[in-house]
Amino acid sequence: MSREVKDNILNGITYLCAFLGVLFLGSILVYVVTNGIKLINFDLLKNDYWSQNYLVAVTDNEPKEFTCDSCNGYFSTKWGVSFTDEVTSHKESVITIEYIAPGSPFENLTSLTAGDLYGTQIPVDEGYTIEKLDYIDSEGNAAIGGKILKQDAKALQESLDDASEITSIYIQSPGEGIRGSLIATLYLILISLVISLPIGIASAIYLNEYADKSRINRLIRQGIETLTGVPSIVYGLMGVSVLFPVTTVFGATGTSILLGGLTMAIILLPTIIRSVEEALIVVPQSLRDASLSLGATKSQTIFKVVLPCCMNGILTGVLLSIGRVIGESAALIYTMGTFISDNPVVNGPATSLSLMIWSFMSAEQPNFELACAISIIILAVVLVLNIIVKIVGKKLSKNFV
Amino acid sequence: MDTCFDVKNLNLYYGEKQALKNINIDLYKNKVTAFIGPSGCGKSTFLRCLNRMNDLIENCKIEGTILKDGVNIYEPKTDVVELRTKVGMVFQKPNPFPMSIYENIVYGPKCHGLKNKAELNQIVEKSLKQAALWDEVHDRLHESALGLSGGQQQRLCIARAIAMQPEVILMDEPTSALDPIATSKIEELIETLKKDYTIIIVTHSMQQASRVSDYTAFFLLGDMVEYDTTSVIFQNPKDKRTEDYITGRFG
Repeated sequence: MSREVKDNILNGITYLCAFLGVLFLGSILVYVVTNGIKLINFDLLKNDYWSQNYLVAVTDNEPKEFTCDSCNGYFSTKWGVSFTDEVTSHKESVITIEYIAPGSPFENLTSLTAGDLYGTQIPVDEGYTIEKLDYIDSEGNAAIGGKILKQDAKALQESLDDASEITSIYIQSPGEGIRGSLIATLYLILISLVISLPIGIASAIYLNEYADKSRINRLIRQGIETLTGVPSIVYGLMGVSVLFPVTTVFGATGTSILLGGLTMAIILLPTIIRSVEEALIVVPQSLRDASLSLGATKSQTIFKVVLPCCMNGILTGVLLSIGRVIGESAALIYTMGTFISDNPVVNGPATSLSLMIWSFMSAEQPNFELACAISIIILAVVLVLNIIVKIVGKKLSKNFV
Repeated sequence: MDTCFDVKNLNLYYGEKQALKNINIDLYKNKVTAFIGPSGCGKSTFLRCLNRMNDLIENCKIEGTILKDGVNIYEPKTDVVELRTKVGMVFQKPNPFPMSIYENIVYGPKCHGLKNKAELNQIVEKSLKQAALWDEVHDRLHESALGLSGGQQQRLCIARAIAMQPEVILMDEPTSALDPIATSKIEELIETLKKDYTIIIVTHSMQQASRVSDYTAFFLLGDMVEYDTTSVIFQNPKDKRTEDYITGRFG
């Protein structure tokens, strides 16, 4: 075979492989985006996951005349409220309040549920869904309407227009948002980085600047390299057994963001140590010599000259870590938990976005669309965080070129 | 004449290999002393003994004494950091820190706890003027030092060493990475600096040694063969090996 043919074959293989790589990545992205983009909207980011149910009464129980010019849905002129049919991200059809006219009785709803809330005003707004409507119709008979009767928005509007008096409404606040999990994920990233960065950087400095080539240090280095390959679920086990007692000091009673963060911090350590160490090795010895020859101490040399030169390595470590934390699920299942919390606290259970995907996909009926929507948000979060880290890194190394 | 360093019976080993053999030399204050010799003869190694930069090298063992102001710098209680502020060093390749010109100069004083802005500014101006770099860089002090040319970088390194107000400046082949014009500038600089500082320079170039130095020591294979005033070494060497080297018969 001639040399030219051989070269062409080798070139062909490299081109093909590069193309395949791009193709795979692109197709995953296209799949995720096409499936999930429908569900992406601001409500998804803003809303609680769990919706609240309220049984409410109308204070001003008197039908009037209302108008709405810009309503696309079905507007009840007597009660001043407009409904639309919608399908939630969990594929349930609901009747949603689209618009409440000023002065409408629906602006002033009070709770009928016995207990603390009884008699207080429920701030009903657009996006709430009507489950059931109890009313007195025009002929004076008690009647019911709403989703419970498989009514759609149009039928509900007709029922409402027929009502002379509203007895009670069973209403649901909007849910299925991921705000809580988004916040929990950010907490998780923050906690794990705050713990693992100083430890990782200090370890890398020790290994590269202070440690001699003794057997113990070789062992430590070997150990760290081995840790990189340990499956994360094993770290999760260790988190449960070793780190859980630590989190109880901070008031955790079971799975918690803190426990997840501590576990992630340990998972991140080898990555951070490696990337910082690689950056330290590249710093030329001549800079250390220059600093020492000027009468700087060893630690001054490390912290004023060597470490700032490593800013890129540290940034690489941070970026890899963010990716790792945001993508981790196995180690978090039993450390952070899969309970979706709308108001996550550090020492309480919550779930991260990746775990949410896992939960939705392992449900009896996997919800592809929602999983894809969350994937898009994960990608966006990674992108935003990467940009922030890069900007901060540039600011930090400003007088360092 | 006042001596700056008084070296007695200095032996240095890298592991098993002996790199310096029984060196005895008096280095004089406010003079330029040049160390010449072929590659691997130990002249740089000896230079690095004078500010204990060899401490950083593993397996490096040193015997003998180097007296500075009557005190052995290899005594265990010597403060190495203090020694290095008195004995500055300029390296073979220009090695400015990847910071601004200003930050490069104030690095040493800042490490020693000087914080006063006005004082630092004064140090920067004075050092750069002494290093004959002020006119070229005074309008871009806060730009990266890496943007300077090689010769300017080397003069910056000299200015950085001067900023510490040392007594001695050690120069380890300071012009070997520079072009002839930059080299001549550094040589002029050495000429003016010797009024205030003791300069010890290692050089590969015998012309340079003869141009800039008052005293010259010739090293060969770890031995110090001959040490005398530069004119004697270059015109009337006593040792046959020195004569062979300076006439270019080897090396």
